[in-house]
Amino acid sequence: MTCDAVAKAIPLYYYGELEPAVEDGMEEHLQACAGCRHQLERQRALAAELDRHRMVPPPDLAAECRHELIRAIYREQVPAEHHHSSDPWSLFRAGFESLWRPGIRFTRPAGAVALVALGFFAARFVPTVPGPGNLTGADVISSIRSVQPDNAGRVQIAVDETHRRVVSGRLDDQNIQRLLLAAAREQDNPGVRVESVELLKDRSASSEVRSALLEAVTSDANPGVRLKALEGLKSFSGDAEVRKTLAQVLLEDDNPAVRIQVIDLLIAHKDDATVSVLQTLVGKEDNSYVRMRCQNALREMNASVGTF
Amino acid sequence: MLQDAAGAVSARAVAKVDEAAVIRAVQHGDQDAFEQLVRAYDQSVLRLAMNLLRSAEDARDVYQEAFLRVYRNIHTFRFDCSFHTWLYRIVTNICLDHLRKRKVRREEPSTLETADGPVDRMDTFEHEGPHADPERSTWNRQLGDRIGAALSDLTPRERMVFELRHYQGLRLRTIGDMLGTSEEAAKNCLFRATQKMRVVLGDFV
Repeated sequence: MTCDAVAKAIPLYYYGELEPAVEDGMEEHLQACAGCRHQLERQRALAAELDRHRMVPPPDLAAECRHELIRAIYREQVPAEHHHSSDPWSLFRAGFESLWRPGIRFTRPAGAVALVALGFFAARFVPTVPGPGNLTGADVISSIRSVQPDNAGRVQIAVDETHRRVVSGRLDDQNIQRLLLAAAREQDNPGVRVESVELLKDRSASSEVRSALLEAVTSDANPGVRLKALEGLKSFSGDAEVRKTLAQVLLEDDNPAVRIQVIDLLIAHKDDATVSVLQTLVGKEDNSYVRMRCQNALREMNASVGTF
Repeated sequence: MLQDAAGAVSARAVAKVDEAAVIRAVQHGDQDAFEQLVRAYDQSVLRLAMNLLRSAEDARDVYQEAFLRVYRNIHTFRFDCSFHTWLYRIVTNICLDHLRKRKVRREEPSTLETADGPVDRMDTFEHEGPHADPERSTWNRQLGDRIGAALSDLTPRERMVFELRHYQGLRLRTIGDMLGTSEEAAKNCLFRATQKMRVVLGDFV
């Protein structure tokens, strides 16, 4: 091999990427040529320096990224469920399936199926009742309260109806806000709750909205909704009532992402009660990342990590 | 000795079987299995992204985007390559996009924004003990700057091949597969990358 050929092959030789026959030829040349040996030494020195200057992720970065990933997935999942159900056939299927779930709406499934069927047909005959706001249509779900024949060969049927309307308006409209507050408590649909809380969270200056957010944080079964409500409470993390609720959530919520967000909110305003609740949490926390965040927060507050 | 080697091979085989079971569980919507998969690979994904992009913030973005893509597309994974190769293909594509965008922006700040506040970029390098000699520290700092400059002079593809071969220890054939190119093209990239760095770092090594 010539010096030129060896110089070109040195990086591949160093990384063990040469064909065996070329490698043999190279080693034979290197034994005899001091100049090429020097080039190989330079390659080794370069690689060693690059190794010494390797960048390493900060120690907590992986745990933080994992936490953000969980939150991103929650955000993806909840609206997805919601959007999926906006298709009319899905709504019908969901309504139909819900009849068979115990404890929800109807207690006599067979009768209820008949009533829903009646409701769908009734929707075609019952005229739409005009109402306030921009009413754009009405599906009707009905149930029969009573059937009463009279002597003239007619029949009186008392029908309870639920009309579906589309109401639109600005977020500062009182009626829209009332509907959103009701939607934030809509038990059967986490998608509706998360969307409503998302819209309400920027209006937490209203005490009514703040109460709804606090209620969602403490009671909503869906962690995605609880996380959204916590975002809305950010600007009230100094409020005594909010802090009291957050402390309770921190000790009781079963979701680590929620607990981490609560820690972030609580440590924005440092006080003795927060130190005490964080110390209690350190003693009982199972999740290593939450425990670490808690310990870091206590150190920042110059407080001891445990209670003695 | 032979028994040790056989043991290692069978341990790898068992790990592969387990991983396949975990991936199938993820494909059936098992969230715990997904978390298991993330935990198995997330440190190496972060190391790759951090070293390639030399920024904790960019590495964080790559992490999120890569694992969200895995989450959304795991149902399309057909076991025709290893999960590691599939994941790294995703990560390298995202990193290449970042590097290409950065080529346009070019400048990098000397500090990194981290969860604990701004940190000097040099402090994230893996070097220097607590009692380092100040002269040596200055030299290290200059060398670190020069290495950063040398790496940013490489094309995104050269940078990627160099990272995958030097730091991640992957074979050029695998790298070619990952980047959708030939082993020969990967060899050329590695050669060019090394030459460029030797020119820029000539005084130091």
